[in-house]
Amino acid sequence: MARTFRFYEKKRGHRRTGSKTFASAGEAAFFAAMLLLGCVGAVLFVQFLVVPEWRVNHEFRTHECRVLDSRVKEKEDEDGTLYRGEVLIEYKIDGKTYKRWTYDLATTHDTADSYTSRKEDAAERVADVKVDPKAPRDCWYDPAEPGIVVLVRGYSWWLWLVGLVPISFIVIGVGGVVYTLLHWGKSTERRSAITQRVRQRDPFDANGKTRAEYPNVPTGAEVTNSPGTKLKFRLPIGQSPGWKLFTLAMVCLIWNGVVSVFVAMAVSEYLAGNFSWLTTAFVIPFALAGIGLIVVSFRQLLVTTGVGPTTVEISDHPLHPGQRCRVLVSQSGRLKFNSLKVMLVCEEEATYRQGTNTRTEAWEVHRQEVSHHERFEVKRGLPFVDECDLAMPAGAMHSFKAEHNEIKWKVVVQGDADGWPDYERSFPVVVRPRSGETRR
Amino acid sequence: MSDPAITIRFDGNGRAYQPGETLAGGYRFESIDPSEIKAIEVSVLWLSEGKGDEDLAVHEFHRYNGDTGEPLDAARPRRFSTVLPQSPLSYEGVIVKLHWCVRIRVFLHSGREVVGQRTFQLGNVPATKVRPFVEEMA
Repeated sequence: MARTFRFYEKKRGHRRTGSKTFASAGEAAFFAAMLLLGCVGAVLFVQFLVVPEWRVNHEFRTHECRVLDSRVKEKEDEDGTLYRGEVLIEYKIDGKTYKRWTYDLATTHDTADSYTSRKEDAAERVADVKVDPKAPRDCWYDPAEPGIVVLVRGYSWWLWLVGLVPISFIVIGVGGVVYTLLHWGKSTERRSAITQRVRQRDPFDANGKTRAEYPNVPTGAEVTNSPGTKLKFRLPIGQSPGWKLFTLAMVCLIWNGVVSVFVAMAVSEYLAGNFSWLTTAFVIPFALAGIGLIVVSFRQLLVTTGVGPTTVEISDHPLHPGQRCRVLVSQSGRLKFNSLKVMLVCEEEATYRQGTNTRTEAWEVHRQEVSHHERFEVKRGLPFVDECDLAMPAGAMHSFKAEHNEIKWKVVVQGDADGWPDYERSFPVVVRPRSGETRR
Repeated sequence: MSDPAITIRFDGNGRAYQPGETLAGGYRFESIDPSEIKAIEVSVLWLSEGKGDEDLAVHEFHRYNGDTGEPLDAARPRRFSTVLPQSPLSYEGVIVKLHWCVRIRVFLHSGREVVGQRTFQLGNVPATKVRPFVEEMA
């Protein structure tokens, strides 16, 4: 039994051993349960929320009533006292006189959403209804049950938000069941082949080519779409310093905003004479991290505003192992440099799941100095320009990109300016296998 | 009776190939009753190994299905052949490794699967030397 149908399975990273049939059955059962839950939820939603509101607006009959009184009703609940504004009306149908405390449909059915925790809100709700037993006004009653009556009609906006819950369950359930059934009993290779065939049929993918010339090698189209001033192409920057600063500033603001609430709590406790070691010990590491974020953000602000833009141009692209090409680096600003290095870097990047987190790890496997300048000054309006040779290593691996693994090549400019923080700016390039053509 | 197995061999006993070259070879089944075979899948594929979750892509895939009436003559050696792509090349990195292989998967009527696999090298990228540098991102 254990050999043919193994319930328990080992997990080695993302790879599993064990019964695939059992796993697929479990997956299908999970999504079917979600679908069932969604359907039940949708039926209940329509029956108890949509239909009653629709009936009030379309089937309830308009009638004349008199307003006798209004009040704020109180109700004790687990969360404390709750309040509801309601109105006492009197109306006659087929000779029978009805007296009802009412307002809207929720009040008539005495549902939880007719109550509020603020007395003022409850009073405000019925403040517009004038109590005058002599003045007639409109009400709407249920012809099937004349005792059910409302003073206001309309639709609740939150109804549509509630409706999204069962709908999302149904969508996920249907999608999951279809996905599981399509993959049922299929090997990893067959699934991969099906996925690739679907991609190849996509008219917007690979310019209609049935199979990419260099599978899993980035095309590098974004590198060659900007011409250089002296060399053929101007390389785009990997991450703009402005965006880096914006991201850091946002993280810094959110982090310190949240931490400041806890700091304020700790300080007020201390001022009130209730010093708590527990609260202080809890707040200190978060506050230190917040200070660290401020320092890093300030450093990035200095680099972004103080160090001028760096541009890199290249004579050929894509590159291939063993190739030689020209690189031009231009550094603007008004700075005294201790050193400026241009490097060619290759980095492996792996993405993996660890519990519920997705982590990315990068490992630099190649770093080669392309040019190195020391002790020079950049004057305003006269950028420093360096044109040099770049020799790709003969045995280099080409650029590679898959869902979880990547091999990236980039030209890195490393600057050490007098009085400014050190900085590093990256310019991605694509390296094709040796047989790859080069655009000149 | 010994365990069922699949033997795969490459023509000329080659293990290293260049992009654009033809990879050809044959495979045969050992201790598998031909009448028990429901389907055979032959794939030429690459897969990643290392720190990241596994990536896998099939370059060539064939499924021979006994249910469709196509005869599955498993008693004699069967052959495969494909022209290898330009990329990705085999790679022995530090946290990313790429391997090419021929994988034969046999589905039996009993519901069991028997898998045979033989790796080969595409291209000649030398193995990477470990550098003492790592950067982590959340």
